[in-house]
Amino acid sequence: MSNAISTNIIRIILLFLAQILVFKHITFGISDFAYIHFLIYPVAFLLLPVKTPSIILLPLSFLIGLGIDFFYDSPGVHASASVFSAYFRSLVIAFLEPYDGYNVDDVPNIKRMGFGYFVSYMSIVLLAHMLFYFSVEAFSFVYFFDIFLKTIFSFIMSFIVIVIMLSIFKTKY
Amino acid sequence: MYNVIQLFAKYGGHILFVILEIICFYLVINFNQGQKDIFINSSQVYVGKLATQSAKVSNYTNLSKVNDSLMRENANLIENLIAIEYATDLIPAADSLYDRYDLIPVSICNATVNLTNNHITLCSGSREGVQKDMGVISSKNGIIGIVRNVTENFAHVISLLNTQSRISCSIKSRNCHGSLRWRDLDPLRVSLVDVPKHEKIAVGDTVITSGYSTMFPRGILVGRIEKYSIVSGSNNYYITVKLFNDLTNVKYAYVIKNRYGGEQKSLEKEVIESNE
Repeated sequence: MSNAISTNIIRIILLFLAQILVFKHITFGISDFAYIHFLIYPVAFLLLPVKTPSIILLPLSFLIGLGIDFFYDSPGVHASASVFSAYFRSLVIAFLEPYDGYNVDDVPNIKRMGFGYFVSYMSIVLLAHMLFYFSVEAFSFVYFFDIFLKTIFSFIMSFIVIVIMLSIFKTKY
Repeated sequence: MYNVIQLFAKYGGHILFVILEIICFYLVINFNQGQKDIFINSSQVYVGKLATQSAKVSNYTNLSKVNDSLMRENANLIENLIAIEYATDLIPAADSLYDRYDLIPVSICNATVNLTNNHITLCSGSREGVQKDMGVISSKNGIIGIVRNVTENFAHVISLLNTQSRISCSIKSRNCHGSLRWRDLDPLRVSLVDVPKHEKIAVGDTVITSGYSTMFPRGILVGRIEKYSIVSGSNNYYITVKLFNDLTNVKYAYVIKNRYGGEQKSLEKEVIESNE
């Protein structure tokens, strides 16, 4: 159990640093308009154990999002998206529940739940996170087309990065 | 207290989610200039919409008041029109005669249109100044009937669409007179009888009130000649007039009060009695 906690704390710190030091500075775009943003920090709370109580999960995601916000200079935008996807995560986990249910210490990663489960879980929640984030960033559905493009492109690129990263750093928890 | 704790244990995740999102959006709106601008702008749009809606509701509740004032205004305008009609006389009447007609705006309580003898009930009676034998019009173009009986709050009107009604009318710019009667049982058409056949008339001529009776002033538009014929052996035309107004859906009307009507009537009565 303590192993799981320390693993998660280290992962949160590393992902946080990777996000603000590396991925914040990488954006791709077409003709001056940045469509591709790398958002990998949601993995920090998306890989928490399946049975994590929401009383811990939601404040933790809020704090992570707020921390990212301080470096992105956009108070509340990342935090709201993070809280949303942390809340949405429990719905997806319930939706994807295997026939024989979850074990107490199950973690939604490739090693425990299999690649198929991981891909569907991570893609659904990450897509929701992106959509929410870019919506709050634009703050108006007048920009629906921009929101849509940013969500799709950023989702694809971030997902590839996340899969590569988790393939390199394989953890038990 | 126990219930509150139980509630929080059951729905704590959802409540926490809502609270955290509220905090987040508070931060988003207060510390991000772009989002702040959009928020203020759109909230103004919605506040404006709300204000428009509430104005609509209050307008709707004021409709009857507005309607009353408009009716009064209309009555004044029609009075002026009637006065203008008399003002163009070759020998002008005395000044006081210009406004010898007063209009009383009334609303219609009850009306029939599909019987042989139709009647109308007005929601105003002697308290508002309605009296027996006053004419009732719907506007400058359209007569409704003649007041037959009056109580304190209601007036009973013999509709134009009544086989007993007779209203003296003339054909505009042709100087011939007739009596308007209802024979066809069609609520949109009446007949003009007693126009002698040596007069020249044409389809499309406008029929107006003649002003010979004390009930209606001269020049209230009634309708247009739709067709005419001469009944064999008769000396008069039989003219079908299409009405300008539709009596099946009138809601408001004006009762015409002739200030010198009583005087005229008593004089005529005297003459008739002395002849007898």
